[in-house]
Amino acid sequence: MRQAYPEVSETLITHTLANGLRVLIVPKPDFHETYAQFAVDYGGIDTRYVPLGGTEMVQDPEGIAHFLEHKLFEKADHDAFDLFGATGASANAFTGATTTAYLFSTSQAVAQNLTTLLDFVQDPYFTAQTVAKEKGIIGQEIQMYQDAPGWRLYYGILGNLYPEHPVAHDVTGTLASIDQITPEALHTAYRTFYQPSNMTLTLVGPVEPDAIIALIEANQAAKTFAPATPITRGVAFDGAIDAILPYRALTLPVVRPKSAVGLKGQRDLAGDVAGTRYQVAVRLLLEMLFGDSSPLYQQWYDAGLIDDSFDYDFQVARTFNYVTFAGDTADPQALSDAIVTVLARGGDQPSLTEDRFARLKRAGLGKYYQSLNSLERMAGQLSAQSFTAVNAFELADLMRAVTLDELRAIATELFDLQAVSVCHVLPEVTA
Amino acid sequence: MRIELTSGVHLNVLPTTKFKTTRLAVHFIAPADPTTYAARTLLTSVLETSSATYPTQADLSAALETLYGANFGIGVAKDGATHRVTATLDVVDSALVEQPLLAAACQFLGEVLMRPLLVAGGFDPAVVARERHNLVEYLNSLDEDRQLQASLAAQALYFTGDAAQATPSFGLAADVAALDGAALMAAYRQLMTVDQVEIVVLGDVQPAAVTDLIAGLGLTPRNPQPLTLTVDRPQTARVQTRVETAAVNQAKLDQCYHAAVDLYGPQYYPALVAVELFGGSPLSFLFTDVREKASLAYYASATLDPFRHLMMVQTGIDGADADRVRALIAAQLTKVQSGDFSDDRLQAIKDGLLNGRQIAYDSPRFLARQGLLHGLIAAHQMAYEDYAARVQAVTKADVQAAAASLVLQADYLLTDKEAN
Repeated sequence: MRQAYPEVSETLITHTLANGLRVLIVPKPDFHETYAQFAVDYGGIDTRYVPLGGTEMVQDPEGIAHFLEHKLFEKADHDAFDLFGATGASANAFTGATTTAYLFSTSQAVAQNLTTLLDFVQDPYFTAQTVAKEKGIIGQEIQMYQDAPGWRLYYGILGNLYPEHPVAHDVTGTLASIDQITPEALHTAYRTFYQPSNMTLTLVGPVEPDAIIALIEANQAAKTFAPATPITRGVAFDGAIDAILPYRALTLPVVRPKSAVGLKGQRDLAGDVAGTRYQVAVRLLLEMLFGDSSPLYQQWYDAGLIDDSFDYDFQVARTFNYVTFAGDTADPQALSDAIVTVLARGGDQPSLTEDRFARLKRAGLGKYYQSLNSLERMAGQLSAQSFTAVNAFELADLMRAVTLDELRAIATELFDLQAVSVCHVLPEVTA
Repeated sequence: MRIELTSGVHLNVLPTTKFKTTRLAVHFIAPADPTTYAARTLLTSVLETSSATYPTQADLSAALETLYGANFGIGVAKDGATHRVTATLDVVDSALVEQPLLAAACQFLGEVLMRPLLVAGGFDPAVVARERHNLVEYLNSLDEDRQLQASLAAQALYFTGDAAQATPSFGLAADVAALDGAALMAAYRQLMTVDQVEIVVLGDVQPAAVTDLIAGLGLTPRNPQPLTLTVDRPQTARVQTRVETAAVNQAKLDQCYHAAVDLYGPQYYPALVAVELFGGSPLSFLFTDVREKASLAYYASATLDPFRHLMMVQTGIDGADADRVRALIAAQLTKVQSGDFSDDRLQAIKDGLLNGRQIAYDSPRFLARQGLLHGLIAAHQMAYEDYAARVQAVTKADVQAAAASLVLQADYLLTDKEAN
């Protein structure tokens, strides 16, 4: 299917293969780069599931999706990196809470690299020896993150909000958990989640869509896949507020204290139009209350409560959504108190005015257009939304449709003090 | 198109319809003088958060929102022996929002750069005090990023005795803390009356219209001293070493090498290829042999700074392995020097450089940077074809010779107390 989006001067071609693989293509004839991303609807949180063909839930060690991502590059006699590299292309991969993606970027040999991408992801090779060696590399990665105070704060607040949901744990796992990973566990997870029907291939660049689709069709037709089977996942939506830990402080070797406030979303935001509109509205709401043109931001900045490290974010994914606020501050208690005081007002927010709302919608629209300059970002947005009903080129309409009353209603519902938690990072006291 | 608007003020216009934005960058460039870094940095914070027309941060942000969420920032950087203050504004293309935005964007730049918020002829003391405090706090917390901490410490070690290079472009916390309003005003005057100004505008624009708008900023003529871009520290026989300890889980081993390189001349392209093969890409020896085969590092890479005749190696390792990693790094460099690599590998490295270069032409930021370099350095080539031909012409012998010129000069290890 070919759909034109004249407002953003883009065209999106979508095609689903017989084996269930979804293909998204955006032709960009005046660019040099072709960026391709092969994504699986499987990430760090997916540690509980019923294996393909089985009946019982299994519990995998944390970090298995990320470990699998690392290991797929390595084959019996070569590394897939080298196949991309031999053409001059660069390849990479990343694992998020709910997705894993493999990607390449190239200005040449698109067909060859696309074939490499499809083939290395669809041809797993795990041995006890290579799995053992990978533990050394990933162990270094885990240790590196342990040294990042901002990362510790982030997972501190997630741990408070989600004591019983795996999103609270980093996708890398821990030294102890990755030590449990075996080739058998990798194979089982691979067979279950890396079904073509659970994957999306996105290409953005100066490509001929028909030729690309023909290449992918031929590549997939030459391989044998088990019939597409729905996946039974053991991790459900977590909007529960009774288990939230209200407060935790971490003592770390930092110079500046850090303060974070987390707000757990209690409504499962499905990937339909209503859910996507809700997300757009929440982001506008946060910008209106806490953005750098808000009266509060100015007041807090002038009072020295925040500096430009202050930031907030709304994360939405399969089985969870939450808002975080974080910043470096001399007085972490004062900052978290100030944020909580705003949330306590619910929908009664003096800074929700019509003129700022109009201005922020305009700014949001402009930032959205700007984001389409980057092929990586465009492909990433399209791919992430391929598992939902709204694609990235349709966001402008939703943005225009949102009303100020909607923001007030959302604030009334979302800003529930029972769903709030606080985490501080404090400097070590030296004797 | 490059024109001199007035003495010492140049405009570089790069018309293109490829992007959804127009990028405007105003660079104030001076010879790197370490006694000015702190003031120039604090000045960027003050200008970025207040102006006569937009006295508060909220006012400034509102103006940017009205410009359809334009991205704006002022920062400092060093290119070799020069220091620059750069204001950048990315504004969405007028056609997308069916509103002419370029004039308003230039107007905004003019408000922020040319009409600062002044009280009795000086910067607003309240703003200065607040931004000075924030900047000191920020600089004091930089060591929380261990990779950055190690990289800066390695450079300071290598450039011992050369304060202009040993000091980071943003200055030192103690120097910022000592700044007063007079020092800040002196820094502003230097920007406005002494520094060479290079303005780059890239987007769907008409050069004549841009010229009028930028001329409207009112930048005054100046006679900047001719800029020397490169720094070449004499190579020494002794390797400087330093070990520091901190509460880290992962140690950082960073090294500085002297590199014989020129700017876009006969030594430039061989050095580029040699460093890429040694540690610049996932096909490099540092990546394949130190990280992957020996599983000794989460990251291990090398970068070339031709302006400073410097190659830096950065690694994240287990502190107890430091000597093994040092030996492995040296062994990888020896492989490049002795030609212990196949023609295919060399070609793949070149292809990777060219691929990356070609893709960079899709980035407004890269193209605007090329516009600046082209303005500053006569030999700089903007066209991909020239770059590609020169990279392809690099031979195996060229790579070996370039690698032979890479000589270890400084070795810095940041590790935990136990491992030491």
